[in-house]
Amino acid sequence: MAPKMAEQPAIRELGPSPFEGTKLVGELRLQVGTRAGKAIATRQYHQGALRILRPHYLDDTAQVCYTIVNPGGGYLGGDNYGIEVSVDEGTSLLLTTQSATKVYKTPGSFARQDMVVRLGPGAVLEYVPDQLIAYRGASYRQFTRVDMHQDSSLLFCEVLTPGWSPDGKLFRYDEVRLRTEVSVGGKLAVLDNLLVRPGEDSLDSLLFLQDFTHVGMLLAIDAKIGASDVERIRELAYRMGEAQRTPVHLGISQVPGPGVAVRALSNSTEAINAVLMAVVDELRLHLRGQKALNLRKY
Amino acid sequence: MPNTPTRQAAGHLLTLLQLTDSALPTGAFSHSMGLESYLSTRAVHDEASFTLWLEKFLSQSLAYTDGLTVRLAHEAAGGEALARLDALVTAAAVPRQIREAGVKMGARMLHVATSVFPTPELEAYRLQVESGACSGHPGIAFALGAKGAGAPCADTVAAYLFSTITSLTQNAIRGIPIGQNAGQRVLRAMHTPVLAAVETIFTLDEEDLGAAAPGLEIAQMRHEHLRARMFMS
Repeated sequence: MAPKMAEQPAIRELGPSPFEGTKLVGELRLQVGTRAGKAIATRQYHQGALRILRPHYLDDTAQVCYTIVNPGGGYLGGDNYGIEVSVDEGTSLLLTTQSATKVYKTPGSFARQDMVVRLGPGAVLEYVPDQLIAYRGASYRQFTRVDMHQDSSLLFCEVLTPGWSPDGKLFRYDEVRLRTEVSVGGKLAVLDNLLVRPGEDSLDSLLFLQDFTHVGMLLAIDAKIGASDVERIRELAYRMGEAQRTPVHLGISQVPGPGVAVRALSNSTEAINAVLMAVVDELRLHLRGQKALNLRKY
Repeated sequence: MPNTPTRQAAGHLLTLLQLTDSALPTGAFSHSMGLESYLSTRAVHDEASFTLWLEKFLSQSLAYTDGLTVRLAHEAAGGEALARLDALVTAAAVPRQIREAGVKMGARMLHVATSVFPTPELEAYRLQVESGACSGHPGIAFALGAKGAGAPCADTVAAYLFSTITSLTQNAIRGIPIGQNAGQRVLRAMHTPVLAAVETIFTLDEEDLGAAAPGLEIAQMRHEHLRARMFMS
């Protein structure tokens, strides 16, 4: 069944755009609040190559799930995308994508996405997109700025994979940067500035990818994440990693906020996803007593 | 090059030599910055593999973290800019032990610099760290001390990079182990990469600060539970 597009909205009281002055190929601005006990977009705007599907409720909580769609198909050199997300007090939003984000060859340039997130007191954002696929000659920069309260909760993940050539060989993209800056209560807590330059071979990539091809990251910031939770998440992630048929090389560490950061290297999107989703589910259960995430799209 | 009389050494030279001396009590000898994880998997196990690792660490990590921090601190216009830089470089250290290493070595470098080469800027930074407004970072304290002595920015950055490279090489001499002469060959081999890294650092900006390679970060994170550690990071 073809998904229905959300109603084309007017800009109502969304305030000044954080992307003012930048020519955007696609823009999405979304404010989510609570109405009649359920989370729902109270204001939204989109233009160009970014849209959202109508809301879903994936479990028996008030959390709303919105799906970002890029009908343009892929990011090209010089393309700028802007996404603004505000989650009101006590509201829970799950944000995902309809399909993988593809970055094609960007000769002499790069594609860029800016995301600005504001989380009100007690607000929750889980950002769980499909993987980002960077093709040969692709450069991509993603800048995410999150402003959250001491008692709001953030979960942010990304999986980065190389594109495939028609004969099934993996391409090496040029460079991907995922820069995520999180401020808690107005104070910078974490600057997760992931840089990947696959290089020509595994020697070039000693510190980036080693002999792997896929990268995963997860960042969770929540006042309830303590040192013992980080240990538990580490054990869980290692156990899940070892259970995969494709090896997953993992690092887990406690970050200010407080929170936890996960890094994963593997040769398989599925293996990385299995580990990251296990962590997501553990966090949902531990922080909110919420059931495992089922995006119903695989 | 400035046209200085040949019989007069640059005034800042001795300050840089003292601040970069491996005997400077910053505790750098107890931090491997993730190297020990590569030793434990034998990915680094001899002079050649260490030279390769060190060159990558320098050009792909250190340049973007401490190297860029030193340059930005040297160029910073005042306390507010330094506080922002301090917050950024601390927040960018995602692996816990790297963050803690920065704070520990920052406090010691700041102590040495303020007591031996006091300047109003260093004193102001020390107060910001003391009040908790800043976390403290060795690159910032080093840059302010060197700047106070009149060291040009590029020399300051090169000196800091080479000093870190020297500490890591001494740690590798003990940790791999490799011989003292091998260590000196590695250091000589790093001259050109250090100068190249300085050039790169002058092309970067604040957005690049703390750019981190995932493989290295995983090594730094896994160090937290490595068995039989010689180093604190």
